[in-house]
Amino acid sequence: MPAGTLARTAVVTVLLLFTLLALPQLISLYYVDTMTQVGIYAIVALGLGVLVGRVGLVSLGQIAVLAVGAWVAARLLFATAQPYPVVLLEAGLFTMVAGTLIGLPALRLRGLYLALITLMLAGAFSIVLATTNFPNGGHGFLGYNGSLVRIPPIRRPDIASGDPAYFRYTVIVAALMFLLVLAHIRSRPGRAWAAIRQSESAALAAGINTTLYKLWALALASFITGVAGGLYAGAVHYIYSIDFPAQDSIILLAVVLMGGAYSLWGAVVAALLLELLPALLNNWGVPADWLTILFGLGVLQVLTTAPAGLADQVPRDLARLGRLLLGLLRRPASAGSEAQ
Amino acid sequence: MPSWQDFQPFIVTGLALGGVYALSGVGLVVLYRATGVVYLAFGAVGAMGALIAWSVTNAGGPGWSGWLACVLFAAGVTVGYGMLFGPALAKRDPLVKATATLGLLLVLFGTMDLLWTTSGGESRALSLPTDNSGFTVGQIQINWTQVIGLAAGVVITVLTALFLRHTRLGTAMRAMANDREITATLGVPVRRVEAAAWLGCGVLAGIAGLLLADMVALDATTLTFLVISSLAAALIARLRSIAFTFAAAIVIGLVQNMLVPISSLSNYSDMTPFVLAAAALLVLVRRRVMTSSREES
Amino acid sequence: MIEIAGLTVRFGGVTSLDSMTVSFEPGTCGLIGPNGAGKTTFFNVLSGFVRPADGSVRAFGDDLLSMVAFRRARWGLRRTFQTEQAIEELSVFDNVALAHERSRRAGPSWRHDVLGAISFVGLEADPRARVSTLGAGQRRLVEVARAVVGRPRLVLLDEPAAGLPDDETENLAAVIRRIPERTGALTILVDHDMSLVSACCDTTAVLDFGKLIASGPTAQVLRDERVIAAYLGTAEVL
Repeated sequence: MPAGTLARTAVVTVLLLFTLLALPQLISLYYVDTMTQVGIYAIVALGLGVLVGRVGLVSLGQIAVLAVGAWVAARLLFATAQPYPVVLLEAGLFTMVAGTLIGLPALRLRGLYLALITLMLAGAFSIVLATTNFPNGGHGFLGYNGSLVRIPPIRRPDIASGDPAYFRYTVIVAALMFLLVLAHIRSRPGRAWAAIRQSESAALAAGINTTLYKLWALALASFITGVAGGLYAGAVHYIYSIDFPAQDSIILLAVVLMGGAYSLWGAVVAALLLELLPALLNNWGVPADWLTILFGLGVLQVLTTAPAGLADQVPRDLARLGRLLLGLLRRPASAGSEAQ
Repeated sequence: MPSWQDFQPFIVTGLALGGVYALSGVGLVVLYRATGVVYLAFGAVGAMGALIAWSVTNAGGPGWSGWLACVLFAAGVTVGYGMLFGPALAKRDPLVKATATLGLLLVLFGTMDLLWTTSGGESRALSLPTDNSGFTVGQIQINWTQVIGLAAGVVITVLTALFLRHTRLGTAMRAMANDREITATLGVPVRRVEAAAWLGCGVLAGIAGLLLADMVALDATTLTFLVISSLAAALIARLRSIAFTFAAAIVIGLVQNMLVPISSLSNYSDMTPFVLAAAALLVLVRRRVMTSSREES
Repeated sequence: MIEIAGLTVRFGGVTSLDSMTVSFEPGTCGLIGPNGAGKTTFFNVLSGFVRPADGSVRAFGDDLLSMVAFRRARWGLRRTFQTEQAIEELSVFDNVALAHERSRRAGPSWRHDVLGAISFVGLEADPRARVSTLGAGQRRLVEVARAVVGRPRLVLLDEPAAGLPDDETENLAAVIRRIPERTGALTILVDHDMSLVSACCDTTAVLDFGKLIASGPTAQVLRDERVIAAYLGTAEVL
């Protein structure tokens, strides 16, 4: 394994271990909850990153996909006694099938129209959701009983019922989802996506079945977002339609663009922007609206400075920030040595 | 199944809303044809304009000053955005241009919630003087605001069509819709034409904002995302024909409102623009060829 | 042997190809014509990006038009583009392998074939290098390598020398001349560089406004009055 990859793997492993073992002890329960949400939305951001950054498909409806996953998981968790991993898998698979079936006719459309149709479909879905609501332990297909006085909480896995334990559970599942995506990127689908993103005609001329690989990306993104929905259900215990407002899909796109749609780290950054920053602001008494404004400006900045397409390899501002930090870290170390 | 009489008031509201969707849709289509930008922030600027109008009147100003503030704000922000970000994104894909307007949408959305927060449970309402007077046709009551809604849609559609066909500026816009670069080489002041398109669109956004705030609700989220109904009409017209945009807008308004009295579908009436637009996109947009129609060799 | 019969393509009001009927013999064939003549449109029909209004294309006995676009590569159709389309994110090796790894006739030696194609075109770059790090001429060669790897049956080269300096164009000419003997493929070359066309192509067809106006041995065609008139607009000799 080349030195660069070894170093990167080591860094990731250390960070992962730190997050799993040390982090929950160091922060308050409020932030443990927040970081669980970060883990969940990192998966969602990763899904959107695959679509936007790798294939060039913009979806303005990923939050709706998340809601589907959460709905399925909640329904299963109430109606059955299946173990949690099974429920997560089922939520992921159902969402994957739904996403692929709905996406299939839409893939004929060009970039702009595809994005707009995802907006339309997500909007239609949110209205249906407002009527069907989320399962709350009731009976019937929808599992929703509007007149229930005491709503049972959605259960969690036996081994992870407490918040810090559930946080670790979420991180592990998230890591698995990231590995799944990484496996795709490093193999044939990843190469096909690279070709499709740059030039669909070149991809076709190279014999790539572009429709198949676009569907594959859609299936992958839907699957992991569905799993994230399952995690969400256990995290919050009670789900309401207002948890998934229309603007969240737009804000998700904004943070994914800002974090970098192309890289896997970008998804983590996006989730931190999306969930940690508002929690911090909330704690300090600053209205979260400032973030909405910031994200809006972020979108404009990323798009006007990115040289090509929506997925720049590493967004310039974050790269610059990274270099700045590295420079600061290196300076005390190099104080003793001569050459750089 | 409700009776014909039960439907009648909803036909009126449907036509009125359809008219406003039409005037918005026309604004969206003309801007798209002239600049390649699908102005997704159209609803948001109108919403903030309406809130500004509310604040002005709430602070004691006369009604017309509020409306003026609304239209000036909407036009100002729209032209400002167009001139600031238009050139930077001019050569980019329409998808990138549309996504950039989402940035503007978020900025406005956050600002609205910051300045006119609804977390205190307060609700605001905007009313126009024409709300209170009207007339009766048969058994239906129609107020003048509704008439204005429909009339504005008709008038704007007709005027825009005439403008595009018979004025120099309009012809320039049509030329730019076809090919921006060639139009520039013909000596057309592209930047000025674009500015005019942005200005027109912004004015329409302000007017639509006022009317929708009156007819629907003065709520930032509702008004921001009502742009989707107008967008749906524009998409059904393939972002091309103003006449079709008008027709589609009226249909959307009518269907959406006429579903309300049908109890089993009432909850889903708001899905109308989404469903119609999605259907239209899938049916009408056939797969495009890989290369442009203007071949090099 | 490629047989084109009555091929017609219309875009709105413009007829890009007008009842084009021509046969291409094995070897390297040129396809020339002034700008807008329909050459790239013709290639796009062969690639499957444009559906013709009328006409047929029979390549080595197979009906090419009945195949879905991406399947034609597996059949053995390869193509380079006017603006070079080597995939920047991927390495040289992966770019060339893109078409080949899917080919049914690849077999276990496919990696060897890929490296062979890279050296055939004379590309002196690390196969693991990312294409984004290469210069324009080298990227062109990556595209050509992709076009010749494995056993292609029909290779379409769309202005491969565009934007290249003279020395690289000469190298390219040498490579193109060797394509038929190495791969057995029928090669069609579109270019404006007449010296390249004369050097590489045994026969040449000429398009003007979508119509075929001449076809035959290259030297003859280049002297044809109608061809000169099409390029210059007059009947004056070059």
